[in-house]
Amino acid sequence: MSPGTGLQAQLQIIHALVLRESRTRYGAHQLGYIWALLEPLFWVLTFYGIFYFTHRSLHFGMDIVSFITTGIIPYELFRETLGQSLNAIPANKALLFYPQIRPLDLVIARLSLEVVTLMTVFIIIMGAHSLYLGELQIDNLLVLMCGLLLASLLGASLGLFFSALSVYTKVVDRIIPIVSRPLFFVSGLFFTVNELPEQARDLLLWNPVLHCVEMVRDGWFRSYHAVHVDLPYLLSWIVGFTYAGLVLERMARRRLELT
Amino acid sequence: MIEARHISKAYPMRHGMNRVLNDISLTFPTGENIGILGRNGSGKSTLLRILAGIEQPDAGEIIRRRRVSWPLGFAGGFNGSLTGEENTRFVARIYGADVPRVSRYAWDFSELRDYFYMPVRTYSMGMRSRLAFALSMAIDFSVYLIDEVTAVGDKPFQDKCRNAFRERRERSSVILVSHNLGTIKQFCDSCAVLIDGRLQMCNSIDEAQQRYEAA
Repeated sequence: MSPGTGLQAQLQIIHALVLRESRTRYGAHQLGYIWALLEPLFWVLTFYGIFYFTHRSLHFGMDIVSFITTGIIPYELFRETLGQSLNAIPANKALLFYPQIRPLDLVIARLSLEVVTLMTVFIIIMGAHSLYLGELQIDNLLVLMCGLLLASLLGASLGLFFSALSVYTKVVDRIIPIVSRPLFFVSGLFFTVNELPEQARDLLLWNPVLHCVEMVRDGWFRSYHAVHVDLPYLLSWIVGFTYAGLVLERMARRRLELT
Repeated sequence: MIEARHISKAYPMRHGMNRVLNDISLTFPTGENIGILGRNGSGKSTLLRILAGIEQPDAGEIIRRRRVSWPLGFAGGFNGSLTGEENTRFVARIYGADVPRVSRYAWDFSELRDYFYMPVRTYSMGMRSRLAFALSMAIDFSVYLIDEVTAVGDKPFQDKCRNAFRERRERSSVILVSHNLGTIKQFCDSCAVLIDGRLQMCNSIDEAQQRYEAA
């Protein structure tokens, strides 16, 4: 088999898995997919209400909707890719019955579906908002897309690592939610790094998700420059956990076989 | 042709390892139906899963030159919340087959009628295995791996399966594992016996019977 046909077969399998996944998750009706879009939309609305009624003022000339969306979407991308890749293998273990489907395919299929969904939500919200304002201002599309992509990759790499680890110890499934919950408050959903006092800033910048959110805001707002983003730091998280995850997946593969 | 080279497999037990397959080598030539006879728990199903590629052996390798099916007769691999049709389309896609053709064939062969469009969780065991069998027939494999064909459906459906195999004798062959000599006699040209993790090819089915009963 040549590498070309191998890749084609792989893509065929991932395509079939994505279709199946979207069918089982969103139900048989095409309309079911709307729920996937509504959930993050509801988040944005809730935050909008809180910000509006507490009369919170934003720095750097940001408007509330853009501020919230540029925070929530990368955060959700991270959280969802982590959660999805963590559960991908146990939830679809029966599929390993087909020899050409390997655990990694299950993870990739779920990730693709999740990333496409949230990207769509981002485009819908920001598009509608820009129409409402009557102008579309994107400062740097490349930085914006990189921020969203890196948030997904960060979640995926951690998910891959911990899903392989959970084959060995079930403690992982309990610890991940406990550790990831505080991330909601320290990932820049309610603040920007530039407005923080120095001590808090140095501490919070250990959190890689915050770097992703900062990149997205830098890319979107002309008036905001995320001078504290440390790209090599963020990339070492991603590369480190992807590497460790792939090694661990190899080792865990035998244990995953149907018995 | 499928070739097994020095296959070994062991499972961890409470104390030490249980060696299920011990250095098995065998060539399954194209166009010949082969039966593998063994008692319950002798490692037949493990061997079949390794031949299919679902499990990796601890040592040795499998060489597959033809398209090999998943182990039939076991109706796993369906998602209960999806309909028979949706499951069929999924499997057709992962094998790169013509989706509408496979779907039509499976509908016709499985005789599920309206149940084809119902979630698989509403099926009885017999209906599930009928769908699994119909699906494997629709995809056109060169080698069919079968685990205990007797489990599939009622008598008329079993006859139908037998006829389907007879029809495609030119194109496809069968590797059948069973603990029942009668089943193997019906389907196979030659027979091997799996005893204590070792596979021995026999010259005739009668010889297989003698070895099997002696063990």
